[in-house]
Order: sequence, then structure tokens, then C-alpha cells
Amino acid sequence: MTVDPGQIFCLLGPNGAGKSTLVKILMTVIHPSQLSGTMLGQPVGHKPTLRQVGYLPEHHRFPPFMTAEQALHFYGALSGMRRPARLRRIAETLELVGMADWRKHKVGTFSKGMQQRVGLAQALLHDPKLLLLDEPTDGVDPVGRREIRDLLHHLRSEGRTILVNSHILAELESICDQLAVVVKGKVALEGTFEDLTASRRRWELSWRGAEITWPDYDVQIDGEIRRVTLPGASPEDTQPLIDRIRNEGGVIMSVTEIRESLEDLFMRALELAGDAHGHAPGAVQGKKS
Amino acid sequence: MTAILAILRESWLSLRAEKLFKVVMGLNILVIVGFASIGFDKTGVTIFFGLSHIESEFVFAGSPLARTLYMGIYSAFIVNIWLAWAASILALVSTSSIFPSFLSQGAVELVLSRPTRRSTIFLVKYCGGLLFVMLQVSVFTVGAFFAAGWRVGEWDPAIFLAIPLITLFYSYLFCINALAGILTRSTLVALLVTLLFWFSTFGIRTADDILTRFTLMFEARVERLEKQVGNLQLEVKTAEADGDDVATKDAEHWLIEPEDDLALAKQGVAQLAPWKTVIGGVRAITPETARTIGLLHRALERDSDTTLQQLLSGDAFRDDDESPRDLNDEQIADQELAKREENISPWLIIGKSLIFEVVILGIAMMIFRRRDY
Repeated sequence: MTVDPGQIFCLLGPNGAGKSTLVKILMTVIHPSQLSGTMLGQPVGHKPTLRQVGYLPEHHRFPPFMTAEQALHFYGALSGMRRPARLRRIAETLELVGMADWRKHKVGTFSKGMQQRVGLAQALLHDPKLLLLDEPTDGVDPVGRREIRDLLHHLRSEGRTILVNSHILAELESICDQLAVVVKGKVALEGTFEDLTASRRRWELSWRGAEITWPDYDVQIDGEIRRVTLPGASPEDTQPLIDRIRNEGGVIMSVTEIRESLEDLFMRALELAGDAHGHAPGAVQGKKS
Repeated sequence: MTAILAILRESWLSLRAEKLFKVVMGLNILVIVGFASIGFDKTGVTIFFGLSHIESEFVFAGSPLARTLYMGIYSAFIVNIWLAWAASILALVSTSSIFPSFLSQGAVELVLSRPTRRSTIFLVKYCGGLLFVMLQVSVFTVGAFFAAGWRVGEWDPAIFLAIPLITLFYSYLFCINALAGILTRSTLVALLVTLLFWFSTFGIRTADDILTRFTLMFEARVERLEKQVGNLQLEVKTAEADGDDVATKDAEHWLIEPEDDLALAKQGVAQLAPWKTVIGGVRAITPETARTIGLLHRALERDSDTTLQQLLSGDAFRDDDESPRDLNDEQIADQELAKREENISPWLIIGKSLIFEVVILGIAMMIFRRRDY
């Protein structure tokens, strides 16, 4: 599995697939029994490299007696940041996640969504090149989710590499450049969303008027409207059909690209891995992915 | 260094947020005010800032015994009972959650995913836990220092030895607390295991002291009886040499009971020996909680002719020319025991306790470093 720089990489998989375990290994929270790989050019487990990595764990818990500002000072200092740098970055990151007005409030009084925002702020605090976000929108309301999505796009535009681990496929679909589906600890599918869904892409034409039939395609008739679905990723494939419909006096009602959704892709990956029900051993034992 | 300071600051914030920390601090101040309320006038001792008065011809303002009594109350009662027991139990209740809550899911990842080494995090977190006691004892000793200066004119910096000694004593328990907390991640289990360990060390120490006392008592008895038997045997021999049958029989008659007693005393020493070896061996590897606190007594009584024990037992009031009392076996054993205690090197007491602490901390740190979270 390779994550290209400046990309948003989405890690998908059923419960117990090993997504969070992988992220924890990268962050040295878990010792791997078997691993080969590098992160930012250094072997995984190289502690100094973590200065360039921001991490938002799933279900993270800040010390409840700390204010947002104190918590960020604490985590910033653990990442080796000096006080002047922390002061500057705390103000910037809290502003970025929309928590600047809450800096002096105790974290223990925050809602789940607010804690998630502060969690993002701590991940961004030391200006990391790489961000590992485990369920970044967990507990965040729809407006907040949208803001986090926008934030991720913004961070990508700054050249940061982001690895997102999430269950909410619909959210990931709009942000990920690359993805990997992990099943039972193994990568079942990997690539860009475009590439992975290309073979399943098709076009649907609907028209009115021309009573055309093609032996190769199944034309569906719904009252005056006729529909046909054409396999293939390229829009050029549809042009001869559109021309013929028009030549025979038909009126094109719609030309729609039908793409495989991330959910479809996810289910396909599970089928490929022979785990269509998504039950991995870890999930059965109650472990979290 | 930045990370170390951050962890220590987090520990401080955590302690400040603990209600029990404030409660114990309040109780500390109350105890020290109580201590400061004891004073001396020309006729005796005043309590509660003069509300109560006890007349004494020996203990009064300016008398050396006033100093002994006041410093004795500090080291034997306030330090021994309040700081070393009550306040320590409250401190354990307060600090037992440090490692379990630190290792709770969602919290530990935020800390371990930093470039800071796990061993550094563990050790600084451990020291952070000791801050609780150190801060409490520091406030306490400052109060005691001024109280002693005010009441008996004793501006003795040795009072401040309570800070390292009580912290050291607490660290022997806190290392067990940390190990149990890391192993089980449960505050309650960590607390119970620590209390169990503490009471076990108390039990071992008490058993060893009792066994030593009895052994010394039997040894004193053996020594006394051997002399007595020797003298009686001499009498028998003399009577036999004189050919005085009546005197010989009489002397032989008086020899029977001491010889029996001697045999019993020797048997007692022999019976206790294996137990003494076992209990003594266990004690040798456990930390010296009481003896560490006892070092404070030694320091505070170093220049004093009289100890609090002598004051309370009445020995302090005997005239110097009064002939020493005949000591029985128990008293000889007690004296020998006290002498042995005094002669144990502070370095040995602290050194072997620290070795125990280092071993326990080493195990705890190894588990902490290797575990997956």
C-alpha cells in the first residue's frame, strides 16, 4: 500500500479489518508482529519522524480538567514544540477548527463534536506533513462534517498528505483521491476512485419519440420514455447512439453517467476477499477496527 | 526537556483538579495549626493557644525537655501518624487513578503517538504522581518549621528532611501502585494492591521485630542463666570438695530449676531461629517504610540528651546519680533492639528500599514500553 504525497487517502474496511491497528502501528501505539514499510522516508516506528505526523485517534479523550488551550500546550510540548511556536499555532489551529472562542473552557465540558474539533487542532498543531485521522467526523453534526471536509480539502491544497480512516463511506466519496479497502488485515483493493470504478462505469440515455431498438442493448420502455444503459467509461461511446436517436426524430431527455458508489466498491471488495458479510475475526471478538 | 515539563505540568493540573488534593491540603493546615497551638509557659504546657493548661515541673518554657516534647510530638505523632499513615492513605486514594486513567483508551494514544520515548513518559508520569505527596509535605513542613521556631525557638532545618523522607517512603508504595495500575488499568485494584502490600510490609516488619525481640530476650535469659548455673555449679563443686553432703545436696537442689530454665531458653532461641531467618529474609527484600520515617526521628533527636521515649517513660526525670535499675530480660531485649535500630545505616535503609523500588519500576516500565494500546 502506498500513499502518495499531497493526497487524501481513505482507508476503508469492516470492523476488525485492522484499519485502526495499522494507524496505531504507524503511530507507535502498537508494536507490529510483522511489518515492513516506511513513513516519510523513515522506517515505521522511527520516533523522531512523528514530529512531522499529526494523529487524531478514534474516541480520543483529553484530560477533562484542562482547557482547550492547556490541552494543546500539553500535546504540542510532547511533540517537541517550544512555547512561542505553541502560542502562535494554538491560536491558528483553534481558529481553523472554529474553536477560538472556547480556548479558555475546560475540555470536559465540551460536546463530542467540539472535542473532535479540538482533536483536529491538536493533530494540526505541530504543522505536520502527514495527517492520520481515525474517524475524524465521529460525533460531529452535519454542518461540522461539511466544515471538516472543507478543512481536509484546504489541508490537501497546502500540500499535506492525509490518511482518513472512516466508516462513513458517503463522506469519504467526496474527499478521497486514493483509497484502499482492508479486509482481514489485507488490502483487497487499492487505487484511485476513478481507476477502481472505471470498469463499472456506464451511461444511461433516455429519450422520447424515436422507437429505436438495438439488438445488443436492452431498451426499457416507460410510457413515452425509452431508456438504454451503455457500458463503458468513455462518453465517446454514447455519441453514435445519440446521433441515431436524433436522426430518427427522437428528443434526448437525459444522458447520465452511472458510477459505482463507494459503498458498491466497498461491498465488491468484500466479495473479492470472500467476506461479503463484513465479519472479520476481530469484529467477532469485539475488537474495534 | 519541553516534554518533561509538559508532563509535570499536566500532573500538577491533574492534582489541582482533584478535590481530595484540596481536602488533604486543608487537613494538613489544620494539623499544623493544632501543632502550633501547643505552647509552653513558666509553669507547664499550654494547648489550643492557651485554652487548656497542664502544669509540669520539668516541661516548661525554656526547658530542654520542652524542646524534646515539642519536636517529639512532631516526629513521633504528627509525622508518624498523620503524614505516614492518614495523609498517605488519602494520597494513595488520590493518585491511584494516575496510571489507569492515563492508560485509558483514547487518552494513551494521544500521548504515545508523540516523539517522546515511552520510558521518559513513564518516569516523568511517575514523578508527577509523587508531586502530590511532595507538595503536601512541603507545605506541612514549612508550617512545622515556623511553629517549632515560634514555640520552642528551634529553627531546625532538619524538619525539612520530612520532605524527601516522606516522599521516599511514599515512593515505595507508589511504585507498587504504578505497577498494579499498568497491569490492571483499574484504579480500585491498584489501590487495593498497594494497601495490601503496605499492610504486608507492616506485618512482616512487626513479625520480624517481635521475633528479634523474643530472640534477644531468650539470649539475654540464656546469658543470665548460664552465669547463674555457672555460679551454682561452682557452689556444688566447692561443697563436694569440702565433703559437705548437706551443702552439696542443697546446692544441687538449687541448680535444677535454673538448668531447666536454661534448657528452655536455649530451646526457645533454637525454635525461633528458622522463623527469624525466613521472616528476616523476606524483610531484607521489602522496602523499609517505617525505618525510612524513623530517619527523621534520628535527625531531630541527634543533639538532644533526652528522647521522647525517655520523656514518656519517665526515665528523663531520674537523677543522674540514681543507681541504674536492674533490667529484666524484656528490658534488655528492648534496649538491644533500640540500639540495633539506631546503628542501622541510613544508606542501608534507603539503599535497599530504593533497590526494591528500582526493580518494581523496571518491571512496570518494561510492561508499559512493550504493551500495545
